[in-house]
Amino acid sequence: MQRRRFLHAGLGAGLALALPGCHPLSHLGIPLTVLHPGMAEGHRLRDGAPLPAPSREIRTGVVILGSGVAGLTAAWRLAKEGVDDFLLVNGPEPDGNAAGGRFDSPSGALAYPRGAHYLPLPSPESTTVRELLAELEVIEANPFSARPRFAETALVHAPDERLFFGGDWHDGLLPTEHVGADEAAQHRRFLAEMARLTHTRGSDGRRLFCVPLVQSSADPSWRALDATPFRDWLSASGYTAPSLHAYLDYVCRDEYGAGPERISAWAGLHYFASRGGQAENAPDGALLTWPDGLAFLASGLRRRVPATRQMAGHALRIRETGKGVEVLGIDAAGPFLIRARKAICAMPLHVAARLIPHIRDYGFDPAAHLPPQAAWLVANFLLDGFPPEPTEQPLAWDNVIHGSPGLGWVVATHQQIRAARPAHTVFTTYQALADRPPAEARRWLESASADELFALASVDLISTYGKLELWQRTRAVEITVRAHGMASPVCGSLANPGLAALREADGRLLFAHADLSGYSVFEEASWWGDRAARLAASH
Amino acid sequence: MSAPVSRPPAAEPAPDRLLILSVFVVASCGLAYELIAGALSSYLLGDSVLQFSSIIGCYLFAMGVGSHLSKYVKDEDVLARFIDIELLVGLIGGVSATLLFLLFAWMAAPFRSALYALVFALGVLVGMEIPLVMRVLNGRKAVFSELVSRVLTFDYLGALAVSLLFPLVLAPKLGLSRSGFLFGMANAAVALWTLWHYRLEIPRLRTRLTRGVLVMAFLGCGLLLSENLTRWAERGLFGDEIIFATTTPYQRLVVTRWKDDTRLYINGNLQFSSRDEHRYHEALVHPALQSMPWAKSVLVLGGGDGLAVREVLRHANVQHVTLVDLDPAMTGLFSRNDYLAGLNGGSLKDARVTVINADAGQWLETNADAFDLIVADFPDPSSFGLGKLYSVPIYRLMAKHLSENGALVVQSTSPWFAPRSYWCIDATLREAGFHTHPYHAYVPSFGEWGFNLATKRTGFTPPTRYSVPTRFLDAETTRLMFRFPPDMQPLPVEPNRLNSQGLVHYFEQDWGNVIR
Repeated sequence: MQRRRFLHAGLGAGLALALPGCHPLSHLGIPLTVLHPGMAEGHRLRDGAPLPAPSREIRTGVVILGSGVAGLTAAWRLAKEGVDDFLLVNGPEPDGNAAGGRFDSPSGALAYPRGAHYLPLPSPESTTVRELLAELEVIEANPFSARPRFAETALVHAPDERLFFGGDWHDGLLPTEHVGADEAAQHRRFLAEMARLTHTRGSDGRRLFCVPLVQSSADPSWRALDATPFRDWLSASGYTAPSLHAYLDYVCRDEYGAGPERISAWAGLHYFASRGGQAENAPDGALLTWPDGLAFLASGLRRRVPATRQMAGHALRIRETGKGVEVLGIDAAGPFLIRARKAICAMPLHVAARLIPHIRDYGFDPAAHLPPQAAWLVANFLLDGFPPEPTEQPLAWDNVIHGSPGLGWVVATHQQIRAARPAHTVFTTYQALADRPPAEARRWLESASADELFALASVDLISTYGKLELWQRTRAVEITVRAHGMASPVCGSLANPGLAALREADGRLLFAHADLSGYSVFEEASWWGDRAARLAASH
Repeated sequence: MSAPVSRPPAAEPAPDRLLILSVFVVASCGLAYELIAGALSSYLLGDSVLQFSSIIGCYLFAMGVGSHLSKYVKDEDVLARFIDIELLVGLIGGVSATLLFLLFAWMAAPFRSALYALVFALGVLVGMEIPLVMRVLNGRKAVFSELVSRVLTFDYLGALAVSLLFPLVLAPKLGLSRSGFLFGMANAAVALWTLWHYRLEIPRLRTRLTRGVLVMAFLGCGLLLSENLTRWAERGLFGDEIIFATTTPYQRLVVTRWKDDTRLYINGNLQFSSRDEHRYHEALVHPALQSMPWAKSVLVLGGGDGLAVREVLRHANVQHVTLVDLDPAMTGLFSRNDYLAGLNGGSLKDARVTVINADAGQWLETNADAFDLIVADFPDPSSFGLGKLYSVPIYRLMAKHLSENGALVVQSTSPWFAPRSYWCIDATLREAGFHTHPYHAYVPSFGEWGFNLATKRTGFTPPTRYSVPTRFLDAETTRLMFRFPPDMQPLPVEPNRLNSQGLVHYFEQDWGNVIR
């Protein structure tokens, strides 16, 4: 079964400070926390709040702004290269979209993801990711071979995924039962075509679709698909089966935060044909996960960066000067000025656009080049025991309801090796607000009450287990609102000249973020972080 | 129950006093049915707080409904209806416990519905009793305040009597079924006695009398036969008489006995039979321990019955045994219950033994001790959760807890009934870096059963003699145990990888082939 869930890993930390607001749900009595990471800081910048005067000055060689996956990877690389003259400024949300949290349950602490929760087997080209996984002992042997050996504890355990379709749960996410022979034939044809594309090379000899995206073939006949919506490509290719369309609608929302009517055909195919990672001890298409999702990798990276090279606080303005870079920032001790030789801007681009007054000088015009950003909700439910399953099909790691506006839920305790099921568990539900334009979704998120957010976050759990069962079992809920959750690779994303310009930047300001690839996954973020660090270290 | 001398009732207060006395009996019986239903459902379903609360709630509510319904009984019918209701209460209440037992044993599904339906019906009928008695007495011109006070006093006194009598005497001595019949007979006796006393006022006396006698006789037979009936019901469940049953947060434990055969069932699956468990446990422990006379510390995972520990302790060189079992109820039962502790020779209370109630997976992850022998005596890999206890990562983890020349013994399901499962465990152990020495033994209550002795180093040879007393093992038996005849040869199977859990699928298919 070929599928991958979205990884909105790359969003650096630019401007995302958790602003915890605790609203106990009055009519249910369940403690509910709503986090709006980075919203207050971001809106102050957007609204043009006056800049404070710095009260102290810090000098360093390379300053990294933002500690999402790109910023952390850059810091990890610099530390590994023996550069000790650098500083990682965490930004308002440490770990960015790879953040995790922890509930204190009566049976002990339970970790859960606040963002991305899995990583596919890394593609042959994802050398940075392979190097990191080997360091963290997730790859046990032969990290750069075609088939490395992975730690089984991190490979998603069976049963990995199930789909509610036609009134029952089924193994896998693409329905095979309850569909007509014609639909089933289309499923097979589609998957076969995707498998073929995975190994197809363009006129320049490169694979058509690669992770990292910049290594994909430049063959113009294939890149032309950037202009066509994925849905149109499907229809034109004879893929009309409603069950296949529903599956791909889920995949696009899950991976890119927008449906196949907006996502480009190139991006839609890229999802299926790009990674091709393999393992010695797992089938193709296997996934890696941890209880707290990609926070496992983020904290692994962070542990490898000396604590003295990390600081809290976030940037307010970034300026190139004749001799280097000046960053005005603020932390708990007040405003500060960092003077550095180089700066790695590891924040999302909508934040960079506010921080860098002259960003147009780098070839990036925010009005024209800023990728559309999908709004997300990630909600964690601390449960007392497991709700009884309505059918025989056992609870899987990833549980998806066909045709639901929600993206299903994952089980944070799934990877535990235990004689008995844990007394408490955490279900993490995901929602991409893909049914409305992103700006409208953000306005709704800003004004929605805690109860409205809860209702949206629990839609799949309630349709599966019933309101009463869910309410009785839920001990606490935490909702993370990611209003600028990820860049969506809509039509034209691949050809976006502003992104291309920032990718090429090699001056005092370097850019590192998954946004540079136009979509958000761990591999892209770490790729750009690694590249920026190498450039910064080499001069 | 002596029949009082007959008199014109309206003029005489004395029989009314007897009617009040019957309130005492009626109240006793009413509470008794409630307690029986609560105890029975706790016993069969577990979670006694929930069962008692919901049954008392249902019963009290039904009594309210009954009180309400009593107003529809016409004044002239009150006495006759009271007698009818008494008989009906006696009949339904009397058979309730036995009926529920049989239902549970033979048709698991409608048990809860039947339980609450019975409790509700009884509650409605019992709820009508007191209002009707009050109306009978009120019709006899008793002073109302006096009447209410006397009826309620005896009502509550009856409740007190039974609430003490039931847990202290009746439930332990008579059991639930027979207690039920006994209280049913008391209700019927009240009906018969009232009938006889007011015989001049009751219409269709003969029919009612016949009915009453029939109910009484039926309940009497029930009382005499109920023990057989219950035993029959439990045999339906477990084949033998249940001597102990409890539901813990983790599992349902049932111990049965038939003659000298004691059996432990977990969630309905046989764990051991006392007749042949020595074969299983000798085979599990001695081939490894006999070959490592240097062994000082042993870890037993699972095996909360203490039977494997009993065999380990026979080796004097073993100085310390750590038993890690999930369920404190299990290890508590097998260390405190005299009879069951007798089966394991008091092994769990031995000074050399430390009992830890923890999840084996979690304990192995957090503990740093090393052992010379690890005995993995887990339940069969029948679910994805249990399948993880037979995986490469957990065997690697066990290897970290094993001394360099130590050994790991794994109960490995049946190489005969579930051959792919058996050889999958072998492949998994080898994948985890162990040298494996598969073997098998015949345990009559299980059939042909399989084990695997895994070592970090090569060079293990099965023992040719035993320095500890054994009932089953000797040199020749051991030699044959390590030989697999042509019809039990190894199969080419994949190791159990957590991301596919092949073992769980093999196990399901293998046993599916056996059972169907």
